[in-house]
Amino acid sequence: MGKSQVRNNIRKLRFHHDEMTQEQLAKKAGVTRQTIIAMEGEKYSPSLELAFRIARVFGVPLEEVFYYAPEDEAES
Amino acid sequence: MSYEEKNITVSLVSHLLIGVYYLANLLPMIQSGELVAGRLYVLWAIVIAVNIVVNIIGSILTNILLTIVETIRSGKYEDPQFIEDERDKLIGLKGIRSSYITFSIGVLLSVFAFIFGQPPLMMISLIVLFSILAEIIGDVSKIYLYRKGG
Repeated sequence: MGKSQVRNNIRKLRFHHDEMTQEQLAKKAGVTRQTIIAMEGEKYSPSLELAFRIARVFGVPLEEVFYYAPEDEAES
Repeated sequence: MSYEEKNITVSLVSHLLIGVYYLANLLPMIQSGELVAGRLYVLWAIVIAVNIVVNIIGSILTNILLTIVETIRSGKYEDPQFIEDERDKLIGLKGIRSSYITFSIGVLLSVFAFIFGQPPLMMISLIVLFSILAEIIGDVSKIYLYRKGG
């Protein structure tokens, strides 16, 4: 199980939101901290519903949080 | 280690213990060539009943112990909220799939053992053994997936 092709800016967005902790984000999004860690490490791609919930926590559109980067594009 | 991982670890240890107990009782019977129906029925009943009871009690005890540990660590009691999110559910389903595949292969091997001349008691003993093995494989695969990220 390699890196997910769905990349994200969660770490950056947390930093820009008063250095929100993973625990705080997890509580607001209704998931465990381990899921936030897995997403930040790009080891887990969230469902569409969770992705929208996280974007809503940050108050930004979905594409500012998640973007698609296929392996061939990511390597080049 | 998350709550789910701790719960699975407890489940894995209990399944390993049950497996060791079952083998420790079954192997001497096979080696001496005395597969007595009465003794085997009791052994199967014990293993299956203990498996069910341990699964329930293990889960409750883990819950209580984790709440106590968390209260001591934070210094205040908070109503524990062990959330099971979508990643937990996905990993749980993948673990169940591993269990089913292991159990299916086990049943097939047990039936082949019967076809090739083993007594029916041996076939059922093998099926019970593979059911324990399937639980262990399921737990191991869940722990592996948690370590890998999901």
